[in-house]
Amino acid sequence: MTVRVLVWRAALLALALAGWEVWARAMNPLLYVPPSAVAPALGRLLALESYPELPASLLLTLREIAVAYAMAIAAGLGCGFALGLNRVVGRAYGPVVGALYAVPAVVWYPSLMLFFGLGAASKIAFGFLLGFFPITLAVLAGIRQVNPHMIAVARAFGARPPVVFVKVMLPAMMFTLVGGLRTGLALTVIGVIVGEVLGSREGMGTLINHAYGLFRTADYVALVLVTLVLVVGSDAVAGLVERRAQRWTE
Amino acid sequence: MTDLIVVDRVGKRYQSTSGPVEALRDVSLAVGAGEFCTLIGPSGCGKSTLLGMIGGLVAPDAGRVAVDGRPVTAPDPRRVATVFQDPGLFPWRTTLENVEFGLEVQGVARERRRAVAADLLGPLGLRDFGTKYPRELSGGMRQRVAIGRALAIDTPIVLMDEPFGALDEQTRLLMGEWLLGIWRRTRKTVVFVTHSLHEALALSTRVVVMTARPGRIKSVLELPMAYPRVMESSEMVALRAQLWGEVRDESLRAMGDA
Repeated sequence: MTVRVLVWRAALLALALAGWEVWARAMNPLLYVPPSAVAPALGRLLALESYPELPASLLLTLREIAVAYAMAIAAGLGCGFALGLNRVVGRAYGPVVGALYAVPAVVWYPSLMLFFGLGAASKIAFGFLLGFFPITLAVLAGIRQVNPHMIAVARAFGARPPVVFVKVMLPAMMFTLVGGLRTGLALTVIGVIVGEVLGSREGMGTLINHAYGLFRTADYVALVLVTLVLVVGSDAVAGLVERRAQRWTE
Repeated sequence: MTDLIVVDRVGKRYQSTSGPVEALRDVSLAVGAGEFCTLIGPSGCGKSTLLGMIGGLVAPDAGRVAVDGRPVTAPDPRRVATVFQDPGLFPWRTTLENVEFGLEVQGVARERRRAVAADLLGPLGLRDFGTKYPRELSGGMRQRVAIGRALAIDTPIVLMDEPFGALDEQTRLLMGEWLLGIWRRTRKTVVFVTHSLHEALALSTRVVVMTARPGRIKSVLELPMAYPRVMESSEMVALRAQLWGEVRDESLRAMGDA
């Protein structure tokens, strides 16, 4: 990245912060939280003064995300390949997956709370639900993308179906697959955090709700910033993996 | 000469959206070891289908195909290697990795197969391109990689389905000369599909002319003359006219049919 791009970005950020500061002071500093109030709140948060349970909450949220994502990968890959590699199963159930994906997932959340309670299980279930569909659909799209001629070539060289799968299909669909895994991770993170905000006793969502509910808006923004780092960080790692796959496939 | 490939009264029908299509009818052909046998004929005459049957990728509806005395039921990479018109290289593999694909499928150890592939780069004219990816190669180079992939498994038979069909004419002529050199050195049995009269006459020991759909064998032209052939000689010019006469009739029928 060139220095010039970085300078332009820094300038935009500085301008936005300055504008926000002026505007918030002119309006109501309690509701609009100027950056000058957020910075000390962030300091207190990171020093574990305002919310000493921050590390435990962060860890819990991360654990929920990890479990939900692992389940979404396993189920998404399993369903995707079952639907994509078997014509009959794919015809029978493929449209159902597409239709379910179109339903705004948040309508399921109340029933997930009823099934799994207020604890981590309902958050994991919701994160799983959100992450599962993009992964499944990416597998299906990836399978459709594999050039049948390459499969014929591999067969001509004596490759049996398992070998064709590993040496031709997987590499040919890798880019789409990794893209789906990245989207799945982003949605799993959203699912877990939204689940926590909608109702929970522990985790980052609970802290955010608490600060917000008590009008500790500076603390609230600081917590959101920490959560943002978590989300952006996980997506950056996924993006790195995606670029590697891209270099490998194209 | 023993017949390495025997095609015995094969037929094939396909289901298309506009009803059944008869691609091949009652085709019999024997190819001896070391021959360069070329199939020529109008588009859709079943040349590729016939090649697919010999390679074990297409099952005949009628008749049988045998290679080296054994009936063909599936691809047999120990006897037959295939080069397709679309080179079908794996874009995520380098030249070397593409060339060694067949050996990898056969479970040959990594160092062994890498050595075989590396030795082929010279004859393929790809010495400096071993670590390049297909997207970095020209069309002619890609097709040479595909040919290298077929040569690497060192089968007695190589099937080539219009390997130079997508190349420009000059590249095509050079590739033909190059292939001739390879074939004369390795003495493999080649079954070659082409639309090019020039390629058929310059390369083959025998040219088989096929009819318009349903594909049958119309005539066979033996070409015993030595290589490299002077295509401007009166003998070759006359043969070219004769071959064009036969192919032209069938192409006209195929066009009228379509």
